[in-house]
Amino acid sequence: MAYHFDFNFVPDYAGMLAHGIGYTLGLTLLGGTLGTLIGIGGAISRTWNVRPFAGLYRCYVELFRNTPFLVQLFLIFFGLPSLGIKLTEWQAAILAMVLNLGAYSTEIIRAGLQAIPKGLIEASESLAFTRWQTFFYVMLRPALLKVWPALSSQIVITMLGSSVCSQISAEELTFVANFIQSRNFRAFETYFLTTAIYFALAVIIRQALAAIGRYAIARRPQA
Amino acid sequence: MMMTFTLWDIIRNLAISGLLTIVLSVAAFVFGGLAGLAVLFARISKIRAINASARLYIEMFQGTPLLMQLFILFFGLSLFGLDLPAWLAAGVGLTLFTSAFLAEIWRGCVESVPRGQWEASTSLAMTYAEQMRHVILPQAMRMAIAPTVGFAVQVVKGTAVTSIIGFAELTKTGSMLSNATYQPFLLYSLVALGYFILCYPLSWYAQRLERKVHAPRTN
Amino acid sequence: MPLVQTKRLHKFFGKNHVLKGINLDIQEGEVVTIIGRSGSGKSTLLRTLNGLESIDDGTIEVDGTALVAGQGDLRALRQKVGMVFQQFNLFPHLSAGQNVMLAPQVVKGTKKDEAETIARNMLARVGLAEKFDAFPDQLSGGQQQRVAIARALAMSPKVLLCDEITSALDPELVNEVLSVVRQLASEGMTLVMVTHEMRFAREVSDKLVFMYEGRIHESGHPQEMFNNPTTPEFANFIRTQN
Repeated sequence: MAYHFDFNFVPDYAGMLAHGIGYTLGLTLLGGTLGTLIGIGGAISRTWNVRPFAGLYRCYVELFRNTPFLVQLFLIFFGLPSLGIKLTEWQAAILAMVLNLGAYSTEIIRAGLQAIPKGLIEASESLAFTRWQTFFYVMLRPALLKVWPALSSQIVITMLGSSVCSQISAEELTFVANFIQSRNFRAFETYFLTTAIYFALAVIIRQALAAIGRYAIARRPQA
Repeated sequence: MMMTFTLWDIIRNLAISGLLTIVLSVAAFVFGGLAGLAVLFARISKIRAINASARLYIEMFQGTPLLMQLFILFFGLSLFGLDLPAWLAAGVGLTLFTSAFLAEIWRGCVESVPRGQWEASTSLAMTYAEQMRHVILPQAMRMAIAPTVGFAVQVVKGTAVTSIIGFAELTKTGSMLSNATYQPFLLYSLVALGYFILCYPLSWYAQRLERKVHAPRTN
Repeated sequence: MPLVQTKRLHKFFGKNHVLKGINLDIQEGEVVTIIGRSGSGKSTLLRTLNGLESIDDGTIEVDGTALVAGQGDLRALRQKVGMVFQQFNLFPHLSAGQNVMLAPQVVKGTKKDEAETIARNMLARVGLAEKFDAFPDQLSGGQQQRVAIARALAMSPKVLLCDEITSALDPELVNEVLSVVRQLASEGMTLVMVTHEMRFAREVSDKLVFMYEGRIHESGHPQEMFNNPTTPEFANFIRTQN
């Protein structure tokens, strides 16, 4: 093979790569947080059948889970302006991330709420808790704790999926990679490096979420 | 060149490209399933080197974006003078992606067969192959059906990413028509509807299967 | 005026008429044990007393707080009626102490320090002062059930309902829970129990209520009832209970 792998371009573009990583992490952090909040709202509505939210959430969940993220992104970024809603790349990317993750987390958290033993709810009712108090103090944490691994995986999947945001010129990691390879003509090396960075981000985010699960949600001393 | 499209033209073009999406999905699912079976056996193998490489394979595909996998395939192979046409790169890429995810889903099912089943069949003097064939796999398969159908939805949605490397499936065709007609909202709504029509029945069926599997387990 | 009074209580599960006009008076400080075969309505009756089961007709009045055919201030009622369950139902994400503190803090708005003092007292009362920081999964079944009793007591209820609280326990752990109940009875706590521990029921109860097919079939002082069963159904019931 005459081909020589050449990663000498890396230092020149380190700043850009850092920008892309930051952008991707920003999308993930904001998308993960808001998406989870939407999911909690959806899970409550669907578990208690709160009208009209339960029905709306049902449609929303099915629509977003049964269409590709890329198409959702295009619809938001290219389609919404014809309805007079013009969003920047960043806003469109964030909105798509939040809505996509919200649909998944609704179902994930709902499963967690359903897995709460009926007896726990009866116990808090017998202590004169209101429904909201029961939810907030008795159901939420055990439910989140139970589905935290599934929710974490979904957040990582969504982070990896955010690479298609490059297609609306959101300046995340893949966008930066596309830019670099268009300059240095080292497509393979550039994408190889980028892929490795994504892999590292996935590992780091997974670890960080596991730590959050252990310390923030379980909130108990390690035995 | 100026062309005008009637709504009918648009729908017909989308429908034709939708067929490509279906073909790609089915191919990736079938070949990915076969490859996934091989990865599964490697993953649950007792030989460490095989087991570890299967694990690495799965983690690489699960830990990186599908888009990057396609780019590496597309650009990596061209280093070796292999210029893959977009449809082939799309098919190979999605197949590998599918194999890794299915192998991991199925591993979960094999491992959730209770340990007592292994012990019971061992005590009946079955070999590893016999245990697998007669005791473990039949039970694991029952559990695997629902998540496997569920994953089919991810495969169909995954095909949209292949539009980025130029494969003219549903999303790509939608984009091209959108550029030609200046009706992005209509086009992407129709594209979304197309995927929904393909995916929703699968999701619905997967959920139904899941309920069936869990139904006998009361409490 | 009795502390707890039910009048013409009716309850249906679908077409199934499970409570058929229950009239029950419980005086302050009284220990009442409800017995009967499974399906006789005894657990349902107990669970109506704090509104865990709604009623279709009749009234329930506890210390001046009334439910009429299911309408009324449930939360006010529940603050007066504590409950201990068969399956303990401790909150798994909270330590023993936090389990006891939670309801006073959340429902009554008690300050944290004060709630902690209450929790420490209540845990001491059930003999688990040193388990304040233990989590439910680090406790034996008997200890969990005692924490559950402490949790109910922390709300200073007027009456405590015990729904087969020893049925889920290993035999060697039953006594530590029963001795807590015995102690509560001797301190004058009003108790309503459903239990299969007949010997214990005879020993601590002031009043025995025998349920049969959704009705109170026979009730009275336990010794007298056991010595002279007046209905063949109750006689039959005692015979089959060893």
